[in-house]
Parts: sequence; structure tokens; C-alpha cells
Amino acid sequence: MTSQTALGPTLRGTTPPSKRVTSGALRRRKTTTVVLSIIAVIIFLCAVFPVYWMINTSFQPNNEIRSTTLHFWPDNFTLRNYYTVLFEPGRTPFLPALGNSLMVTLLTVTVALVFAFLASLAVTRFRFKSRKAFILTILIIQMIPAEAMIVSTYRVLDGWHLLNTIAGLTLVYVATVLPFTIWTLRGFVNGIPVELEEAGMVDGLSRSGAFWKITFPLLAPGLVATGVFGFIQAWNEFLLALVVNSRPDMMTLPVWLRTFQTLTGTTNWAAIMAGSTLMAIPVIVFFLIVQGRMTSGLVSGAVKG
Amino acid sequence: MKKKLGVLALVAASALALTSCASNGSPGSSEASDANIRVWLVGTDTPKEAREYLVSTFEKENPGSKLTIEEQSWTGLVDKLNTNLSGSDSPDVVEVGNTQAAAFTSAGAFLDLTKDFDELGGKDLLPGFVEAGSYDGKFYAAPLYSGARLVFYKKDALAAAGLQVPTTLADYVTNGKKLATDNPGKSGIWWPGQDWYNALPFIWENGGEVATFKDGKWSSAFSTEKSLEGLKQVQDAMLNASRAPKDGKEDNPQVGFCDGTSLQLSAPSWVKWSILAKADSETPGCPDQEENLGVYALPGKDGGAASVMAGGSNIAVSAKSKHPELAVKALKIILSDEFQTIYAKGGLVPAKLSLAKELGTDEVAKATAEAAAHARLTPASPKWADVEAAGVLQDFFVKIAQGGDVDSLAKELDKKIDGILNG
Amino acid sequence: MSTLNSAPPRVPDAPEEAPATTPAGGKANARGRFGAKFTPYSLLVPSIVVLGVVIGWPLINLIIMSFQKFGRAQVFGAPPEWIGFGNYAKVLGDPTFWEVLGRSLLFCLVCVVITMVLGTLIAMMMTRLTKFFRLLLSVGLLLAWAMPALTATIVWGWIFDTDYGVINNVLVNVFGLDFQQHSWLIDPVSFFFVAAIIVIWGAVPFVTFTVYAGLSQVPDEVLEAASLDGAGYLARFRLIVFPYLKSIFVVVTILQIIWDLRVFTQIYALQGIGGIKEQTSTLGVYIYQTSLGSGEYGIGGAIAVITVIILMAISLYYVRQSIKEEEL
Repeated sequence: MTSQTALGPTLRGTTPPSKRVTSGALRRRKTTTVVLSIIAVIIFLCAVFPVYWMINTSFQPNNEIRSTTLHFWPDNFTLRNYYTVLFEPGRTPFLPALGNSLMVTLLTVTVALVFAFLASLAVTRFRFKSRKAFILTILIIQMIPAEAMIVSTYRVLDGWHLLNTIAGLTLVYVATVLPFTIWTLRGFVNGIPVELEEAGMVDGLSRSGAFWKITFPLLAPGLVATGVFGFIQAWNEFLLALVVNSRPDMMTLPVWLRTFQTLTGTTNWAAIMAGSTLMAIPVIVFFLIVQGRMTSGLVSGAVKG
Repeated sequence: MKKKLGVLALVAASALALTSCASNGSPGSSEASDANIRVWLVGTDTPKEAREYLVSTFEKENPGSKLTIEEQSWTGLVDKLNTNLSGSDSPDVVEVGNTQAAAFTSAGAFLDLTKDFDELGGKDLLPGFVEAGSYDGKFYAAPLYSGARLVFYKKDALAAAGLQVPTTLADYVTNGKKLATDNPGKSGIWWPGQDWYNALPFIWENGGEVATFKDGKWSSAFSTEKSLEGLKQVQDAMLNASRAPKDGKEDNPQVGFCDGTSLQLSAPSWVKWSILAKADSETPGCPDQEENLGVYALPGKDGGAASVMAGGSNIAVSAKSKHPELAVKALKIILSDEFQTIYAKGGLVPAKLSLAKELGTDEVAKATAEAAAHARLTPASPKWADVEAAGVLQDFFVKIAQGGDVDSLAKELDKKIDGILNG
Repeated sequence: MSTLNSAPPRVPDAPEEAPATTPAGGKANARGRFGAKFTPYSLLVPSIVVLGVVIGWPLINLIIMSFQKFGRAQVFGAPPEWIGFGNYAKVLGDPTFWEVLGRSLLFCLVCVVITMVLGTLIAMMMTRLTKFFRLLLSVGLLLAWAMPALTATIVWGWIFDTDYGVINNVLVNVFGLDFQQHSWLIDPVSFFFVAAIIVIWGAVPFVTFTVYAGLSQVPDEVLEAASLDGAGYLARFRLIVFPYLKSIFVVVTILQIIWDLRVFTQIYALQGIGGIKEQTSTLGVYIYQTSLGSGEYGIGGAIAVITVIILMAISLYYVRQSIKEEEL
């Protein structure tokens, strides 16, 4: 962390002073922007390198992935791995798994956000008995190691005849993301002044109207952040999906991806990378969609303060 | 000793079952004729031809009923079996790794197949695998197939070093070291540290044991004098013949072979197909090396083939199967000569001794048959799977590969394994 | 994290820069005015039902199991035997558990501190970037975040691979160092160095996005007013921005602690690539190995319960902090 904080001043020091500047403050601001942009690019590269490596690998023949010569670029460009992943006969097909994953994930995000919005309103805007207990419970739930509960969770779903169903997996995922979502949204709701709602109510809105018309839009950045989180959690979850949805036609993408890994034989790494690349696309699409929401949330921030 | 007793008990039990055969004809009629039998096959080892044969034969023999093969992956298989076999939506027939089988037979997850033992193949079934699938004198999981471990080598490298195919285990190590010295930076025997399967023959050939069972207690035997002799040979090979990562895993052995850094390696027989995979296949190998690819069965201490670790699968019927009779019928098809011959043609050791001849006559087939005849298994304790799951063996051999002190490490390992097996 | 520790006392008597809208201010009256007693409960019903069914019931099972001798045979129907605190005694008396615990705590601490600091710095930086660079950076971070943990670990494993890794290759060929066939995972410290990179790399985006979202809630007027006053960046952050972000910070830090202490996938997958398991297992892996791997569900349950208690103890400080402020 010291290196990070030290980076700013050092870099600033090495930047040559601009030629003609009107005021010191302005020059400083400009230099800072340039320096920050450079740092941003460096961080971008660090963040993206493994992703780049994954995509790079996915376009290489499987036998060149691990070889003595490094391939920073797919010299022997091939779409073979994507073909394997998508169409190879005898493989568990991609599309049904994609469908299952999309259904489960979108349902999870929607349900979790709605439930969490309601719950976070309850714990921030009302004072009631056992409020403290609820918040603490939410926190403690997140501490339970999921690996220890798999057998029990399985039995609960079995009891409700929800094994190998979209609903069952969704239910489990909602419960997995919900504590986090409530806990985080609560932080965001706390950041929105109650007075805004009260003002709305003075203007003739009902209380639920005030929540819906005033708080909810202001909460957009928080909803996006937690929604993206929930999306990624549900999208990438492996262990529960493996155990709960064991029928091949109910497989989700992470489980499907592992069918390319064998225990002793040849693992098709290139196909795994191609599959992972395909898996990342919906997340990015989802993010780009909600990104717009996030900005509109920022625009409506004009109401703030 | 225990093994013999177990087999004896089986024979006795099956005789008993035969006499009572007449009484269990009735439940079959109550089974719905539109039943769907779900069969879990793991990985891609079972050829497509075999799968189609299973489905069509089953559906022909049981009109109205269906059989669905659900392919599962090896990753997380134990987790899945643990949960799914105990639930209401249990699959009917499941494949399980031979060293994993004991954990489930002892837990009551599988249907007792003792009465069907003879019909499934009886004494013709691979004995080691029958033992792995039996518990407390009862037969739960039949052998499915086995793979033998063979040594693959580059003919030109061996010739260039003026070496012959080794005839004893000691020669094998000496050859490996010579190859490594002659070819700096390359492995005379490619042996990544986590690979413990290949170390067991050294223990067995020197007269050692992995673990022994006496008076109701297991005792791990890595630190006995004979085992230590073998382990020191292992360390010699890992340190002086192998350039593989000291903490590496044994997967994808074809990579080093194809890029020329591994001159010899010991691996399951099917690795041949990974090495020779065509350039347009999913995971290309180096088919141009076909002429140069030699293979032999790991030699024993005093010549002949060494006792090697047998990998493979067992297959069982879930105790929770809703259609046990139909499931057993499916199992019988799987163990039929026709089905098993398909395995043999694909280079896997079939579940029946009498079918070994179907493996073919080429070099690999001969070496496979030779190795399979000497195959041994890990201790038949229901807790052995836990030893593997805990990863203590991998840790041990990584430390050996690093050049750690064999004596003290083996003592430490024995203590850990004793704790798990008797825990 | 240290900033979090030192700041709190300043908040209740919020300085005049942050006016009446201070998020955590005492709003007892306002809340009271919202009246109707049943409303909060009805808002909570959906969440409570879901959590009760999916978490509550299995949790009770888990706790019961932790007092029983519960192995694979019990999963398949054998009646379990009550053994009181037997499992707990076994776990607490096992030196391996304490090693694993110590290792996990240290690893968690390092990861959380670095993740929080980096994440916050990047978020603050994002507010000052031009639109293009901000979008570039968010897309980059999102890509990192979206990568499944397992895939990420495989790829990072390649980057640090003994034989064919980029890192070794560059160190040998570009810098001429002796890293030919250097194993990054065989030494536990080095193993955790690689693991920390993977974990932090995957966690920073979440912190950045959350803090950034929080920052975007801070009214611009407040920020502008502060910058006109000539307050230094750090002071401005601590005095003005921080009170707004306080709850989010506490929330995110606690979550990071919880996740990093329970970390499973990255360590488990990395152990498959290399290293020595007994020197590198963390709590998550240890629980998995005990319960699902070895079928000792009772003992696994006991470890899980102990883990929760430890996590509660650690986060209690923060929880109390945030609770006090809200006059909970």
C-alpha cells in the first residue's frame, strides 16, 4: 500500500513542468489528471492480463498452451476450441447449460434485489424490536462456511422435491446472496437522507410512494453494485450446482465447464479457456446494461443535498 | 489372507443366494414398465459404441423401460455421490473410482449384489476390484474396467544412450539417470512430485506394503525396512532422473513427451492415445512420434513385470434405486462379454479375466496384459479413500522429490495414515 | 483498515462541513413518525422466509451434527450417536487445526488490508478520471471480477508455472535471473504470495465498485465546497467523504474479512497445481477436506461452528462500532 501512495508524488515529480500555464493550481490539476490516467492504464493492464491470457489461450491449439516458447499472440490462430466447446458431438451441449445459468442467475438477482430492498428499508427506516437481532443474524449467516452445509442443504431441497430444478437452485442462490445484498444495501440506504422522503410525503406522496419514487432511484448505484455482485456469485457458483443439479440437462455453466477436465487423462485446457471466455460474455453484457442505470442514477443525484 | 476370506465368504454367500432364488421372483412384477433407469458413467472412458450397446440392449430386453446414461465428471464425484445416493432422486446405477468404492460400500450406499455375484461373472471378475467392491463379506460393486500403468519411452533417446529396455527395476532407475545425464535439462524418467501411484511398485517390489491389517487394526508400513528400500530408489529417480516440477501433478504427461523434454514416463495405458492424437483432434499430441514411441511394462525387482497400481472403476446399484431389479439387469448388460469386449478393444483392461485376450496383440496390448496380470490395489480399508482425500501421500512424495530425509518422513507419514485408517 | 480504526470517534460530532444530512445521524424522531408497527415486519417477511428455509434449517442440522458422531454411514441412514462435545474436543486438541487457523488469519489480514487500500484508492482515483479512462478502468476491473475463481486460478497457475510460466520465462530471459524451473508454490510463503495475488486481484474490483458507488452518493456540492476551502485531498476524504461512506466501509471490510478467512476455491485449486497441502491448507479447504473429502461431517460441523464463532469475535468490534453510531 505504501508503494501505491508513494507512486503519485514520485510520478508527479518526474513529470516535466508544462510550458505555459496560467495558474499553478490549474497546472497541478492538469498534471494530476495525466498522472492518474497513466496509473489507470497500468491498473487496467494488471487487471486485464490474466483475462487476456485466457482469451489468448482460447485461440491456440491445445498442445501449444504449455510449451517452451511463449505465445503472447495466437500465432497458430484456431477456432477449434470454440467448436469443441459449442458443437463437438458427444459433449454435454453448451446451450442448455447457458439457458439454465441465465434463468437461475437472472431470477436470483431480481428476487434478491427486491427482497433486499424491502428488508434494507425495514432496518434503516424503522425502529422496531429485534431489528438489531436481524442485522446481526444477517451478518452471522455470511460467516457460515458453505462447504460444511452442503449435505444439509441438499436434504432440504430433496424434502421439497426441488432437486434438479431451476427453482431449487434459485432458492439456494437467493439465500446465499441475500444476506450480502441486504447488508450492503443497508449501507447505501443509510447514505440517503430521510428528509428527502419526508419532503416527498409533504408533497403528497404516500410512504411507499416516497420509497419507490425517491429512495429507489437514488439507490441505483447501490443496486447496481450489489446486483452485479449477485450476478457474478450466482453465475460462477460451482459446488452447490454440482451436487444439487446432477442431471446433465440441468447443469449450469460452471459445472459444464468442468466436464472438460479429466482426472488422469488429458485435460483440454484450451477448451476450458474458450468456455470461460464464453462464460464471461453475459456478465459483461449485463454490466453494460446496468452501467446505463448507474449513470442515470448519478444524474438523478441532482436531487441530492 | 483377508482377501481370501472375503472371496470365500462371497462364494458362500452366493451359494446361499442361489438356493433362495426362487423366493424373490415376485417384486419384479410390481415394477412400472415405463421405468427410466439412470446410469452414471464418469468421464469419457466408456466408448460411444459401448453406451449405444447398453441403451439398445436394455431397451430391447425390457420393453417399455428406458435407460438414460448421464455422463458425470470426475471432479467432485465423491461429493455428488455422497449427496445424490442418499436422496430421493438417486441415480440407479453408478460408476465409482476403484479406490473410492470402499467408502460407499461400507456406508450402505449400494445395493447388496451378493446373490448376483455368479451371474455377473463370478470368479472371472478382476479379483482386486471385487475385493474393492466388497465389504463385510458382501458384494456391492462390480469391476467395470481397469487401466494398467506402462512405461512410454523415446526409442531414439534410449538408443542414443546405448541403452536397452530395462529388465529389472534397478535398471529402470539407472537407465533414467543415464538418460538425464546425457540429455541435460530433460527427464530420463518424468516424475512430478505429486505422483504417488508410480511409487507404489517400488515399495511392493522390495517386499514392502502400503499398510497391513492385523487384529482389527491397520498399520501403515511406509517406514518398514523393505518399504524404505523402495522409497530410497524412488527418491533417487526423482532427484537424479526427473526434471519434472518437484510439486507437479501427473496430468497431461503427453505435453513433455511431445515437446521432447520427457524421454521416459510411466502412465496409464490410454496415454498412448493422448501422445498420438492427431493434429486436428481436441487435444493434439504428436502423431509424428509414432515410430519413435516405445512401451514396456515396468520391470520387477528380479525381472518380469512389476506389481503396479491398478487404476479403474467399479460399478454399483444405488441402495435407493426405485427399480433395483431393472438396475441389476442393466448391470448385467454392462458386465456382459459383448459390452466388456468394447472396453478391451479400446485399450482398457476389461472387468473379466477371460476377456484379456481381446486387448489385441500389439506392443501396448501385450504390455497392458502383462501389467494387468500383476496389478495391485491400495489397502482395502473403507477409510483409504480418506487417506487419498487428505492428500498426505502427495505431500509425502513432494517432500521426497525435494530431497527430504526418507526415514523420518516415512515415520511421520505412517503416523498420519494410522490416524486416518483407525480414526 | 487502519484508517477505519482511527476515524470513527470523529463521526458522531460531525464537523460542520457535513451538514444535517450526515447519513448515520440520530433520526429517532423521523423514524418514529413513519409509524405503523407491522410495516417493518412485513417488509422483512420475504427475506426471513427464504433465509429460514434455506439457511436456518440446514444450520440447525449442522449444529446438531457437530454434537454427533456423523460419518458417511449416517448420511446413508445409520442412526448417529450423540457424543456431546467430543468433536469440539477433537478439533481443538488437534495441532493441525491451530496451524490452519493461524495461517488463515494471517492470510486474511494481509489480503483484507491490501484489498481495501487498493480498492479505495482506485475508487477515489476513478472519480477524478476523464470519462474514457474511467470506463476503461471499470471494464478492466469488471473483466477481472467476472472471471470465475477456478479459471482465474488456473490462468494464474500458468503464469507462475514451473516449466512454462510467463513469470519464470521473463525473469530468466529478460532479467537474467536464476529462475529456471523455479517452483513458486513449493515454499508455503511463496505459495501464499501467489494465492494472495489471485485473491486480491479478484477482490479489488468489488471494493472499488462498491466504494465508487458510495462516492457517487456524496453530494457534489459538499465536495466542491470542500475543495474551495482548499482542504487537502486526504483531509477532505477523512472529514467529509468518509462519514458518508462509513457504513459502506464497515460493511465491505467485514465482508472481505469473512470471505478471505473462508477462502476456498483459489487455495484448493492452487494446491492441485503444486505445493504441499498440509502447509498450505486454510479453514475453507480444511473444512471441505474433513466433511466432504473424508466424510467426517460431525467434525466438519464442529470446525464450521468454531469458525463462525471466531469470525463473530473478529467482526464484533466493527459491528459494535456501526451499531453504536446508529443507536441501534
